[in-house]
Amino acid sequence: MTDTYLHLVNHGATRTVAKKLGLPRPPVLRRYEPGAPLVAGPVLVAGRGPDADAVAQHLAGPPAEGGWDLAVHRHADDGVRYAAVVAVLTEVARPSDLADPALVVGGVLKGLLPGGRVVTLSRPALPDDGPALAAARQGVDGFLRSLAKELRGGATGNGVVVAAGVPVTAASVLATLRFFLSARSAYVDGQLLEVDADVPAGPVVADEARPLEGRVVVVTGAAQGIGRAIVETLVRDGARVVAVDVPAAGEKLARVANAVRGTALQLDVTAADAGTRILEHALARHGRLDVMVHNAGITRDKLLANMAPDRWSSVLAVNVEAQLRITEALLESGEFVDAPRLVALASTSGIAGNRGQTNYAASKAGVIGMVRATAPLLAPFGGTANAVAPGFIETEMTARIPPVTRQVARRLSTLQQGGLPVDVAEAVAFLASPAAGGIQGRTLRVCGQNLVGR
Amino acid sequence: MSPSATIGTPGTRVGDSSGGAGTPGGARPAYVLGGNRVPFARAFTAYARSSNQDLLTAALDGLVARHGLQGERIGEVAAGAVLKHSRDFNLTREAVLGSALDPTTPAFDVQQACATSLETVVALSNKIRLGQLESAIAGGVDTTSDAPVAVDDRLRRTLVELQRARTPQARLRALARIRPAHLVPDAPSASEPRTGLSMGEHQALTTAQWGISRSAQDEVAVRSHQRLAAAWDAGFFDDLVTPYRGLTRDGNLRADTTLEKLAALKPVFGKDLPGEATMTAGNSTPLTDGASTVLLGSAAWAAEHGLTPWAAVVDAEVAAVDFVHGEDGLLMAPVFAVPRLLARNGLTLDDLDLVEVHEAFAATVVCTLTAWESDAFGRERLGLDGAFGSVKPERLNVHGSSLAAGHPFAATGGRIVATVAKELHLRRRALLADGDDRPVRALVSVCAAGGLGLAALLEAA
Amino acid sequence: MVGARAALVAPAREEHLPSVPALGTLYRAALTGAARRALGRGLPTRGRAATGSAPTLPEAALPAIALRVTDVRADARRLTDYQHLVGEPASDTLPPGYVHVLAFPVAMAVMARPDFPLPLLGLVHLANHVEQRRPLDVGDALDVRAWARDLRPHPKGTAVDLVAEVSVAGEVAWTGVSTYLARGGQGIDPSAGGHGRDPGPASVPHDQAPSPDSTGDPGTRTALWRLPADEGRRYAAVSGDANPIHLSRATARALGQPRAIAHGMDTAARALALVGRARGAAFTWGAAFGSPVRLPSTVAVAVRRSADGDGGAQGWVVDGRDARSGRHHVTVRIVPQA
Repeated sequence: MTDTYLHLVNHGATRTVAKKLGLPRPPVLRRYEPGAPLVAGPVLVAGRGPDADAVAQHLAGPPAEGGWDLAVHRHADDGVRYAAVVAVLTEVARPSDLADPALVVGGVLKGLLPGGRVVTLSRPALPDDGPALAAARQGVDGFLRSLAKELRGGATGNGVVVAAGVPVTAASVLATLRFFLSARSAYVDGQLLEVDADVPAGPVVADEARPLEGRVVVVTGAAQGIGRAIVETLVRDGARVVAVDVPAAGEKLARVANAVRGTALQLDVTAADAGTRILEHALARHGRLDVMVHNAGITRDKLLANMAPDRWSSVLAVNVEAQLRITEALLESGEFVDAPRLVALASTSGIAGNRGQTNYAASKAGVIGMVRATAPLLAPFGGTANAVAPGFIETEMTARIPPVTRQVARRLSTLQQGGLPVDVAEAVAFLASPAAGGIQGRTLRVCGQNLVGR
Repeated sequence: MSPSATIGTPGTRVGDSSGGAGTPGGARPAYVLGGNRVPFARAFTAYARSSNQDLLTAALDGLVARHGLQGERIGEVAAGAVLKHSRDFNLTREAVLGSALDPTTPAFDVQQACATSLETVVALSNKIRLGQLESAIAGGVDTTSDAPVAVDDRLRRTLVELQRARTPQARLRALARIRPAHLVPDAPSASEPRTGLSMGEHQALTTAQWGISRSAQDEVAVRSHQRLAAAWDAGFFDDLVTPYRGLTRDGNLRADTTLEKLAALKPVFGKDLPGEATMTAGNSTPLTDGASTVLLGSAAWAAEHGLTPWAAVVDAEVAAVDFVHGEDGLLMAPVFAVPRLLARNGLTLDDLDLVEVHEAFAATVVCTLTAWESDAFGRERLGLDGAFGSVKPERLNVHGSSLAAGHPFAATGGRIVATVAKELHLRRRALLADGDDRPVRALVSVCAAGGLGLAALLEAA
Repeated sequence: MVGARAALVAPAREEHLPSVPALGTLYRAALTGAARRALGRGLPTRGRAATGSAPTLPEAALPAIALRVTDVRADARRLTDYQHLVGEPASDTLPPGYVHVLAFPVAMAVMARPDFPLPLLGLVHLANHVEQRRPLDVGDALDVRAWARDLRPHPKGTAVDLVAEVSVAGEVAWTGVSTYLARGGQGIDPSAGGHGRDPGPASVPHDQAPSPDSTGDPGTRTALWRLPADEGRRYAAVSGDANPIHLSRATARALGQPRAIAHGMDTAARALALVGRARGAAFTWGAAFGSPVRLPSTVAVAVRRSADGDGGAQGWVVDGRDARSGRHHVTVRIVPQA
């Protein structure tokens, strides 16, 4: 599961050799550690207008007033190496308006610190926008995705797309900006995430590092890989966890639960009463259920021409039918109503498609559609439903891919490496957090800007 | 059903005729709150390298994970093993220290042969009922794969002298006494120390004495496998078993076994007795490795921990038979324990919804039931007016028993108690949903080496 | 019973030995004695058994003397080893068989005397009849007397009783009568030795001693003794009875057995241990030995209650037979005394 190549080209003598040979050297990504600063240096806020000013003010503001206490520059100073650039593009009116901020960003890219961040804030292009406005807004999309591909040294570029009527200082906008700036989004690259609503950030939590304090979370497929990382990350963020997996994975599941002081629930998610049993367990043991993470998933790859019926149906049953049934049970129970969060695992296969994965891609695309349609059902309770679509992640599942294919798959992204389970978990944790309440029905890719797909 | 509903009413439901079957002497009830075991493995298979401590720790950790007891100081943990290394003198405490429980959780070891973990359930329940404990974990473990091999007595004595010897000469003198024959280890045997007969040989005698047919035994075996397989398929064990070392189901289970297949097996016990030998590998339990645990607690403790009581451990009775003088068969003690237990609680076999008779051998079960159905035995040996009674097949070992699951000696009682307590809970819940508030009771009976028999009465909470 | 006891009166003449004689010395003496006798006269019984006529041999043929050793004490360590071997609890009470172990060398000394008419080596232990009136303790100073009596013809040779009497503080606590057979002829199948009618000397307690042939139904098997090849050496080590016939194949062959055979008192002691505390404090017991137990061997054992009319009074019968062939090895009958 370890990327030996990544290690070799970044450490010791082999690093020198790799440099001399001009081998591609995928960067070691900056990942979240509690207590580490949000960004490792000054932040340039590019863009003109009240939105840019408001964002800059918030980033520089004192913590007592909710500010982030960052060293914010409004002009690019020569010789300064920036840790992050925030390009506020919400007020562009014509494509030509992009020139100034784009070139400002371009001017500081060479000096961007390793693990640097470029984040755009923009508005979505809507049908009733004027053509010029829509062109400008849609232009941000291409600009950001291309920019991200030019970044080096583990830097990423992502964008927050702020829905009409939502101020740039809305809690969820700032939370998304913060997520993109932070090391938690290490493997999220070239993505634009929409913030749909201005919802309150919820009660101020005592410990900012533990946004999920007091929340009870259910994670399916929790025994290993991404599920296990999700459990650990959510617990780190303060949650109490019910770890669910099939009975056959019980030994690993018990280890996961015991490591985080959670409870283990051995359960086949495809069982008809899975939702009821999950709910009963969570309510009996923990008194509530706030976050449902649908992570359990299987692959049964085969070209469609050779696909046996059970390979097709088992994948659909586990990956999406079970999620639908469990969600339905939660919705009907009347117990999933306190700003609930539903986060489901989709896949880049479900977006871009993948040869040999018609069944899997159908199920994962299904998840994307499912969360989009579930979000409105949860919105009345201050709830959300979103998906995370991982790309190539270093897990036991991908470790079974033949070596050469695996090496190629790893390098087929801007970050030139596979992501780690924790990268997916960070995205899940973000979407599960109270502050992400404005993100409704979206799918966030965690793929290092995989070369395929949108 | 909320736990608090259970707390409020035990006196009215749990047999208030005799001061409360669940609360004799005014004691408060002790409840089975859950259980966990590893899948049982045939000896020398999945757990071939696992020690008693490994298995017990695994079973404890699964219990902790299921019930969120990490870092919890449990009142007391009691468990034991039949085949035990001397280094494991504090087996249970060591397992606790290696588990996710709070290291200040106390523990003690118990050994009552095959009744070990049922005895730990009884002993700890009694402590809870007396108010000495709020919570407890009972259990047992055995692995023939890790059975202790003892050295020859003469060699042991020489080695002790060697250790005491002060001078090289004394050491040489001691060493010189070792003979090749002393180096042959004493293999652990399942023989009764006093009779030299293995358990199978003993049962073969009883089987012949009671004239139990081969087909009656094979029927018990087939039913055991079929019922256990059905329970696994239904997910009944999802919250009772945690896989270990890649084993996800009981390794001995043969879901596809049939009377025809069993009929083809050659007898293994009783071959040198007059009459037909009827006991085969198919209707006898195999050597098995495994561990089981049962979570026990007071109503208050259960409520604090969000746990739903499954069943109260109401009462227990132990008996022993004089097999040395040939008075009764080695495994027949439950035949005497059960009538005494039920009489004390004002119950008959008909009052029991579930009856668990440990399947040491299929013949053990049939002998037990036959003795209870015998008019003469009831009058002459049990002191009754006639036969003690009969057990309907649909109430007996409803989810299979040791013939299918296997029988890791000290772990069997814990397996049975957790299984039957969950079944009691489900049945009572279903009855209550139909507005039926009648008590739901189960009997657990385990025969054990040494002519011992332990029986316990459980009632759905 | 009173009459029976009266018949066990010891000869008036008594010889005090300073200590319990060492059995090894006695066996060595016996070997030389055997050689001497072989050179001198033939066995007194030969021919009589063959003709079937069994005239009573005069008591005078036996040494009219009782040997006596006082202040005999059990060694706690050897006692423990004995208890462990035969399956008795290692208490301070002397197991009934162990009293025999203590008294036996004195009886042996009688048989090893030059004036004893039968050859010591090769004697077959046919039966044992013991009355234990009270328990004996490891700390008791035992007063042991032994004498021979009732030299008589037997279908297979000549039989004799050796009486051992153990007293404590002047009170008889234990009386044992061991019956031995000197085979009357060469070339007789030794394994057939036990198939004869139990000699059941009329004058000893419980002369209704079990006849092996009468117990056609041995009862339900209750135990197995798995006796290893070195069982004879093990019992010799704890009892001090190193009769070569028990020790090894080679020494057993020299005495006409194809393999080493188990001590009769070993199997008797195991049988006594099986009945255990049900024996009570005072009891009589008798052992009848059938075919020798050729080592190694597995003996199937049946313990059962005996009722009146079941060949004896209410008590216990332990029957030991070869687990495979069913050949009879030993029957021990125990009758607790109220």
